[in-house]
Amino acid sequence: MNKNDHDGIWVFAEQRNAELHEVTLELLGKARGLAGQNQGKVTAIILGQGIKPLAQTLLNYGADSVLVADNPVLDPYRLIPYSLVFEKLIKEYHPEILLMGATFMGVELAPRVAARVRTGLSAHCVDLKLDKDGKLLQVVPGWGGGVIATIACPDHRPQMATVMPGTMKPLSPEERKGEIKEIEINLPDKDLGPKVLEIKREKAEGLPLEKAEVVVAGGWGVGSREDWKQVEELAGVLGGAVGTTRPPVDEGWAEEGQMIGQSGKTVRPKLYMGIGISGVMHHVVGMDQSEHIITINSDANAEIFETSDVIVVEDFRKILPKLIQKIRERVER
Amino acid sequence: MNRIIVCMKPVPDPQHWNKVSMDHETQTLKREGIPTIINPLDKHALEAALSIRDAHGGEVLLLSMAPPFVTPTLREGLAMGADRAILLSDPVFAGSDTLATAHILAAGCRWIGEFDLVLCGNMTIDGSTAQVGSQLAELLDLPSVMHVIDLHRKEDHLLRITQKIEHGYVRLEAELPLVISVRKELNKPRYTPFTGILAAESKEINMLSNEELHIDTGLIGLEGSPTKMAGLELRRFKREKERVEGSPEEIVQVLVDKIHRYGII
Amino acid sequence: MDFQFSEREEMLRKAVREFAENEIPPKMEAMEETGDFPTELLKPMAEVGITGIITPTEYGGVGLGYLARTIVLEELGRVCGAMPMALQVHHMGCAVINDFGTDAQKEKYLVPLAKGETMGCVAVTDPTGGSDVVGMKSSAELKGDKYILSGRKCFITNSHTSNYWVVIAKTAEGAKGLSAFIVDKDAPGAKLGRKENKFGLRGANTGELAFDNCEIPKENLLGQEGGGLAVAIKTISETGRTGMAATALGILTAAYEEAGKFANERVLYGKPISALQAIQFYMAEIYTQLEICRLLCYRASWLKDQGMRCDNEGALAKYYTCEAAVNAAKKAIEIHGSYGIMKEYAVQRLLRDAVVTVPSGGTAEIAKVVLARAALAPFKK
Repeated sequence: MNKNDHDGIWVFAEQRNAELHEVTLELLGKARGLAGQNQGKVTAIILGQGIKPLAQTLLNYGADSVLVADNPVLDPYRLIPYSLVFEKLIKEYHPEILLMGATFMGVELAPRVAARVRTGLSAHCVDLKLDKDGKLLQVVPGWGGGVIATIACPDHRPQMATVMPGTMKPLSPEERKGEIKEIEINLPDKDLGPKVLEIKREKAEGLPLEKAEVVVAGGWGVGSREDWKQVEELAGVLGGAVGTTRPPVDEGWAEEGQMIGQSGKTVRPKLYMGIGISGVMHHVVGMDQSEHIITINSDANAEIFETSDVIVVEDFRKILPKLIQKIRERVER
Repeated sequence: MNRIIVCMKPVPDPQHWNKVSMDHETQTLKREGIPTIINPLDKHALEAALSIRDAHGGEVLLLSMAPPFVTPTLREGLAMGADRAILLSDPVFAGSDTLATAHILAAGCRWIGEFDLVLCGNMTIDGSTAQVGSQLAELLDLPSVMHVIDLHRKEDHLLRITQKIEHGYVRLEAELPLVISVRKELNKPRYTPFTGILAAESKEINMLSNEELHIDTGLIGLEGSPTKMAGLELRRFKREKERVEGSPEEIVQVLVDKIHRYGII
Repeated sequence: MDFQFSEREEMLRKAVREFAENEIPPKMEAMEETGDFPTELLKPMAEVGITGIITPTEYGGVGLGYLARTIVLEELGRVCGAMPMALQVHHMGCAVINDFGTDAQKEKYLVPLAKGETMGCVAVTDPTGGSDVVGMKSSAELKGDKYILSGRKCFITNSHTSNYWVVIAKTAEGAKGLSAFIVDKDAPGAKLGRKENKFGLRGANTGELAFDNCEIPKENLLGQEGGGLAVAIKTISETGRTGMAATALGILTAAYEEAGKFANERVLYGKPISALQAIQFYMAEIYTQLEICRLLCYRASWLKDQGMRCDNEGALAKYYTCEAAVNAAKKAIEIHGSYGIMKEYAVQRLLRDAVVTVPSGGTAEIAKVVLARAALAPFKK
């Protein structure tokens, strides 16, 4: 699709069971920011059944208008019906930008839509910017995070991107007014792809150390079995696993199987937090591939700080209780 | 099922990624001296194809778009058990983004003619876009399913598929033909048997250029790709070492923001 | 001359490396602890082709020969030295039946060995000594349609994990008085003796066999009666020595890699210690020996594949590579400093494993006897 006469930023409002995926709100926040630079409008697109009540939420989080396709054929999510609806809407409304979350659904849907309307798409963006001409610059990691590329889509519209959940900030919701428009859907009743037999959601179980997205590890500096509980509690509120260096195992605070490093496990979580860990090499080799590393140690010269993204030189006892409380408040909100 | 196509991408071995450097003039990555391996998830796709073939007969074809020097890597796929390989290789393909790549692979599938199933890895380790499988399906006008963690044949032209989603899964029933992209939970790829290495020596690798495929050059290569590289930066896994200071309350606030930004809470 | 591996050999190396790096490490803790060989790996190894690497395809093997075998053993040894140790002795069990067995013996014993359904070994050494083969006490006597075997065999690799052993025993006096037998572990009068508690190559089982009027069917005589010395010598010098050399080569490669990784990771005085000349010289020495040993090991097995004599070259490769592996492991430990003697680090195991390769399959001194003969041969008057 060519770029003339396109405008507006579209956000795909992903939902399952009439529950919005968090990334939707984050995308609205970002879209609002981008629109502010360019005086554009933010439109949320929501597909499903019985989802009209969510439209107001989308306005409150930053959409100027919402397109609602409420139809039994759109529930539950299926790739082909969703792609067909997006094709119709894009051809009718000509958005300048279309953003989706890099979720299981978005990662499957966005490329299909982009191919259908023959436009460009960038994947798993961690940042979005507008250049001086108002073109969308899409910042994407590649090569396991070792390379950061900036992608543009100069001649095709819409400019499409999927965005990593958690990388953008939602706005604080406020009561806002906007247009909520219902769309008529006329899909053929065959050739709509695979049939959904069953959808099963399960509470995420405690994952083994090597597979956990978050690892909170404690070292000798934790000091006592009593304080070790804070390490476990932090891991708990983050939905992560507890790791350890050798001394806490010797002290009986932690189990042998929780040990990270040369003689233990190698972990590569999204977030590693090290509490009271000095950072000797045989521990570091087991965690230095973690995506993000936050460490807390009262010793300003701790070696672990060499392998950290975020450094806190402080007694963890002053930090952890407050941190646990804050996170718990957020998660339960 | 008579014919299964497995899309396979030769990728630079991540064990050697520390050798990657940047050519600042051309804004491209220099990857000389980095060995090439089969994209790890593509091995899971190949395993799925091989086990279907071994149980029900038929033939498994590897399909790859890459420069000619990757033939030893394709040969590894043949050694694992694929029956033959088709390498789509032409200088006009260079610089293709995911949509352009999907156009080329789709042309390869059409050249093959009849097939029942196309299997891909969910994503590659280098580009990690996870886009080509869905786009290929769209261009072939076939249904597609990503994130597949279980797969078996129910009837001759019917598959039962389990697709992973956040905190759970979806069970699907799909008719062939179809494009499927798989995750590593699907299976454990077999090791390359030595007999397979010997057998692969006499298997065919068919190299096709655009003279055979006749793709509109406006759709492929650097020119035909809708997305363009606007900048490239090598991060080399450096740690940021950002020291957070202030009162405990201030520190906690910064940490909570960071943890949120990482997508954890 | 051609010093380049073929695409086939490169693929073979990649295939074994992938297998070894994934399947062996989960077994290693138990191997170190118990000293037992993980027999559950035989089947997956057979599927890849490791157990039958030198056995011809008509007897269930993959028939890739000795250079391929050296690559396979080296790659297994790079991960864990006990694996190629056990495997190379298993290969001896295959080679001896392939070289000297009748068609019926090959069908019955070689096929399951090559397919990894059974494990095998060759038992030569008596408590009286291994190098002095002719001086052994174990003896067998033909009575009716059975041989009756009595005696003990010690330091036998795969003793307790084998389904049958190829046992060398005296059927008469002197060098022409030795004979070889295929002995089933369930044969009446065959008993397993002690399991040795070695300090290295722990996951390769070593132990004693005891025969007390053990009954062996006459058709289990391997080769001719009185041909046992030739059976033992050919198997040890061609299959055994090249196999021990490849085992040590794997350990040497591991020592080189561990040393190199550590030298680049360990920071002292603000720089990786690989910037220090003392460490650089250590690395240069390890590297030099590794390159020499590769050539020695590949050449010996290549000669065997060409059907050429390889006894001197096998002895040379075995003697030199085992010593080099010990030296490299020692230097790797020194590079590691105090970390090097900690159980968490692989280098201490590499040293223990390397030391065990030195007397296995013939001591350095025996190799030197062979080599001295070769060295002096041109000058003999």
